[in-house]
Amino acid sequence: MNITHYDACPECDLLLNPNTASVGEKAHCPRCGLLLSRPRKRSVERTFALSIAGFILFFPANLLPMVGITMMGNANTGVLYSGVVALFNNGMVAVATVVFLASILFPLVHIILSLLISGHLYFNYPNRYLAHWMRWMHHLDEWVMLEVYMLSIIVACVKLMSLAKLEFGWGLYAFIALIVVTTLLTGNLDNNLFWQRIHQLSNRDNNAS
Amino acid sequence: MQAKANALSQGFIRCHDCGYLVKTVNQPSSCPRCDSHLHARHPHSLQRTTALLLSSFLLYIPANIFPIMIVNQFGAGEPSTIAGGIVELIDAGMIPIGLLVLVASILVPSSKLIGISLLLLCAHFRWQVNARRWTTMYRVIAFVGRWSMLDIFMISILVDLVNFNGVHIIAGPAATAFAAVVILTMFAAENFDPRLLWDNQQNL
Ligand SMILES: [Zn+2]
Ligand SMILES: [Zn+2]
Repeated sequence: MNITHYDACPECDLLLNPNTASVGEKAHCPRCGLLLSRPRKRSVERTFALSIAGFILFFPANLLPMVGITMMGNANTGVLYSGVVALFNNGMVAVATVVFLASILFPLVHIILSLLISGHLYFNYPNRYLAHWMRWMHHLDEWVMLEVYMLSIIVACVKLMSLAKLEFGWGLYAFIALIVVTTLLTGNLDNNLFWQRIHQLSNRDNNAS
Repeated sequence: MQAKANALSQGFIRCHDCGYLVKTVNQPSSCPRCDSHLHARHPHSLQRTTALLLSSFLLYIPANIFPIMIVNQFGAGEPSTIAGGIVELIDAGMIPIGLLVLVASILVPSSKLIGISLLLLCAHFRWQVNARRWTTMYRVIAFVGRWSMLDIFMISILVDLVNFNGVHIIAGPAATAFAAVVILTMFAAENFDPRLLWDNQQNL
């Protein structure tokens, strides 16, 4: 039998009784203080709704102009992906790739994965890839850098403010909304619950067949 | 259940990906819940972290001495290094932003390199330390790492926006080196297993 009635802390390996934190509570490891779990109300439903919102917002955030600049009578506008293109044309292929992955591809994949996972859980629909998707999403977490990008926009604008006239476009507002949605999304996604539900679904599927 | 027992010493392995606790008696090689490979501690944690850390140290040198950004004004290029860019911001009176860039591009990467080195030494030489405090240090290092990408994203925005006939900005060779440092140190932090700090403590 592989089933146990214990839990272990991921960062100090302390053997723990299974956490019984209820919604609104936080469970911390008594030895190292790590936040073990923080159950959320209606986690699956909220994650599903926020993933849909994030997926929709992704497109205006990526396609609409973010910042317009006027300098010495010349005008120029920047879109999220045009920074990648500019770096690429500059010959900085590696840097362009990194920026593309962290600010465009990984955020998109992350949203699609959470949309797929929460959608399947919401409709109680088993899928043998659920565990894989969950693992990929877990590994991508750290490499989605939208909030860092936002801070870079602010710093870049402050740098340019004294030299040029700046205008903010709808792309920027959509981008800010996207960051709010993805932040809420990570806050509402209850990992423990999701894994339990995935396990239940696959067990049910195995028993049925 | 014995108080304050390590899961591993009690015969359990926690799945790194999904957190499932598996009994090691029948030595399963993959997690019954998510199918990922089971290992009690990150495999070759110290070796991998050391290798990634040494590469970051090496790349940190070109990242700081070469120009990260070149402003071309009417044919005359004006290169600036990471430190130069911060000095410019502070000279122009933009002190809060200058300090922000100082933290993200200089303090975070350098303290990360030193911090991971200390963690490695601590785990390797089995220093008897306050493991809770060291785990907190590890957590801070793992958390702040990504914020160093600030400079890289900012360059991509500036290169894109400031692209006129008279004036244009291009990225310098240090940008590649700096991005590599940020990514390698993120991987280094990811590969370090904080549980090694706890394994080495004799009196918990
Ligand atoms: Zn712990
Ligand atoms: Zn697992």
